[in-house]
Amino acid sequence: MSYTISEKCNGCGACMRVCPADAITGEKKKAHAIDANLCIECGACGKVCPQSGILDGNGIACTMIKRSEWPKPEITVETCIACGICVDACPVGCLAMSERPRNKGVDAFPYLKDAKACIGCGFCRADCPMDVIAMLKPVKEKKASSEVA
Amino acid sequence: MTKAYMGKILMVDLSSGTMTEEAIPDSVYEQYLSGMGLGAYILYNRIPAGADPLGPENILGFCSGLLTGTGSLFSGRWTLVGKSPLTGGWGDANCGGTFSPAIKHCGYDAVFFKGISPKPVYLYVKNGKAVLKDAADLWGKDAVETEEKLKKQYGEKAGVAVIGPAGEKVSLISGVCTDKGRIAARSGLGAVMGVKKLKAVVLDGVQRINVQDPEEMKRLSLKCVKWTNFPMPLSLLPGVGLALMGTFMGATPVMFAQDGLLYKTILRTWGTGGMNQMSAEMGDSPLKNWVGSSKDFPLSKSKTINPDIIRKAEIVKYHCYSCPLGCGGICATKGKYSHTHKPEYESILALGGLCMNEDLDSLFYLNELLNRAGMDTISAGATAAFAIECYEKGILTNKDTDGLELKWGNTEAVVALIRKMVNRDGIGDILADGSKVAAAKIGRGAEACTVHAGGQEPAMHDGRGDPGFNVHYSVEPTPGRHTIGAHLYYEMFQLWKRVKGLPRPSLLFMKGSKYKVNKEKAQASAACSKFMSMGNGAGMCMFGLFIGAKRIPTFDWLNAATGWKFSPEEYMTIGERIQTIKQDFNVKHRIEPKNNFISRRAQGNPPQKEGANKGRVVDVEKLAADYWEQFGWDRATGKPKAETLKRLGIK
Ligand code: SF4
Ligand code: SF4
Repeated sequence: MSYTISEKCNGCGACMRVCPADAITGEKKKAHAIDANLCIECGACGKVCPQSGILDGNGIACTMIKRSEWPKPEITVETCIACGICVDACPVGCLAMSERPRNKGVDAFPYLKDAKACIGCGFCRADCPMDVIAMLKPVKEKKASSEVA
Repeated sequence: MTKAYMGKILMVDLSSGTMTEEAIPDSVYEQYLSGMGLGAYILYNRIPAGADPLGPENILGFCSGLLTGTGSLFSGRWTLVGKSPLTGGWGDANCGGTFSPAIKHCGYDAVFFKGISPKPVYLYVKNGKAVLKDAADLWGKDAVETEEKLKKQYGEKAGVAVIGPAGEKVSLISGVCTDKGRIAARSGLGAVMGVKKLKAVVLDGVQRINVQDPEEMKRLSLKCVKWTNFPMPLSLLPGVGLALMGTFMGATPVMFAQDGLLYKTILRTWGTGGMNQMSAEMGDSPLKNWVGSSKDFPLSKSKTINPDIIRKAEIVKYHCYSCPLGCGGICATKGKYSHTHKPEYESILALGGLCMNEDLDSLFYLNELLNRAGMDTISAGATAAFAIECYEKGILTNKDTDGLELKWGNTEAVVALIRKMVNRDGIGDILADGSKVAAAKIGRGAEACTVHAGGQEPAMHDGRGDPGFNVHYSVEPTPGRHTIGAHLYYEMFQLWKRVKGLPRPSLLFMKGSKYKVNKEKAQASAACSKFMSMGNGAGMCMFGLFIGAKRIPTFDWLNAATGWKFSPEEYMTIGERIQTIKQDFNVKHRIEPKNNFISRRAQGNPPQKEGANKGRVVDVEKLAADYWEQFGWDRATGKPKAETLKRLGIK
């Protein structure tokens, strides 16, 4: 079920800017609306709305979270099969396959290439057929580099 | 939609610039799946009989698979469909990479193009909006440059399919490229895109692909991974060991039925190139334009294409979307291009053995050159081999070739010739439309040097070694196709373990028995066609399917993704329907199925005097009649009977 916007909306436009599906429209300082056909239920809008004006698919109001605290994918590359499903699932394109093989291996591995772009939607985790992705709240700014693994 | 498909298509009219979104009823997916099946359904109903493949009435479709993006594995293949300008009949080309899910992320199962644009354009789709944009500054650029430029503008996440200069120049052996060197190459559909002045399709959507039972999808995928990870000692063998196995298989009169786990190990370790020398030895690769045998291209010559040498150039494995196997690779190369997709078996043998060219550096170079030009490596190599034979026989002379000495094994001449074909320069202009068209233009008996089925150059699998290849080259609605069936494929698909009523092949048999015409052969060939048509509707990779129908749970994935409760037999009927609508497409467009039989030379007429296939003759005519009968097509003409069309609900 699509996310919706309640009467609490003051038209600040924060949700519109973050939505990767271009599902939100509205004029500045006027009530915004979500196009149910375009919404992919990533939840990004709910995490940025300062008015708690966004309702999730179950009609429950979302609370704003500081962006530095949004969960990010941690990938256990040892059991990853390099299928690339996670990279494709990401609506903002923040994951990429490495250009070099993993340690003692021949396959590439996925890594968080653009941590700033990540919206913490967890689609990569949901779609990974091997269940090797966890969504964790970052402890501190971690280095995001293809050399990590 | 929570049924694995998006339920919509986009129809773009390039003449008027209008775009129409159309809802497709559930019943169409239930009868044809998506992918090739949906494509065949649309084209059958909408391309008028007798339409010019290079005219505005032809429709070109980019179709994603029903299973693509559903959490299944091996399901990232998309199908390009259209009326083929090379054969005049049904055309399709299959490709991996990452483009298949990109179609669905835009909310469509397929995007179709009709009409002809007045100027070069590309389609850009983002979040519910589709626009045609000016492609003046992309026209003339090669496929890799075009893709890089578009991805720089729209981001790496966008799915991009393009034509190179070969498609722009309407070469009848050109294709459509994605992912910097994956190519939907067969049937000459790049020419259709070129003549429509459509340079690229850029799909930049984020729609989710939802399924009925995500947990069951995961459970099935884990089961599949168990088999793709299944350890086989074969991977420790050196490449030359495979070659010696090939020598043995070429010489022995007895054979074992093969298990796809062997082949998956070769693919995982070396890629398709693992077969390079093995195939030449066992009589699987045609050599010297189908006149030669392993005696002409012995191990001492083929050692340059030893798969271990090719593997050394591999930097990292390349997996198509959702593939756990990764038969592809990204390779470092010498010379002008620093990287290339690992050359496939087909490309190496077509540009190598078929032309008697042993130079590996030239094969790496030509692979990248053709991928960038967007030209089919199989047809390009086969047409070069045809030209060489013409030259050696005096049908072509230095005057015709601008001084190129087109002799067997002359690497420099082969490279120069292919460059001319890509640029449509001199003799290259005549050859750029494939060997059948070239032979007609050259005359002087050149036709006798061609090997084709309905105008399509067959792939590098010799039907004299596995007669099943000759059946499928000759009877498929897409003639000359090697990715559907063969004696070997039937063994590996192991369909009899899931589908009732199919013959179980003998484990140990005399090679000669493969050439006997009987009912079991026809049943096996028909089953391969039905299964692959169904697989192409689902977006499955044939290499995954080779692992065996019991191990790779295609039917179960389909049910879990859609919520249907179809039996394997019912899925085979869907395949039968797809196969029959393609055949009837051909009939509608006045193709005589008999005229698509592969050239007599490749049937073993005259038989070879030496090598692994010595004395082998394949009775294509008899085999075809039995095959047609299996489908309820007329035994004599190959045309679907009215009652068959009625039974399958084809109108
Ligand atoms: S949930 Fe995601 S896709 Fe839906 S409106 Fe919010 S930001 Fe856009
Ligand atoms: S989806 Fe999972 S298994 Fe596939 S590449 Fe990503 S992390 Fe690896």
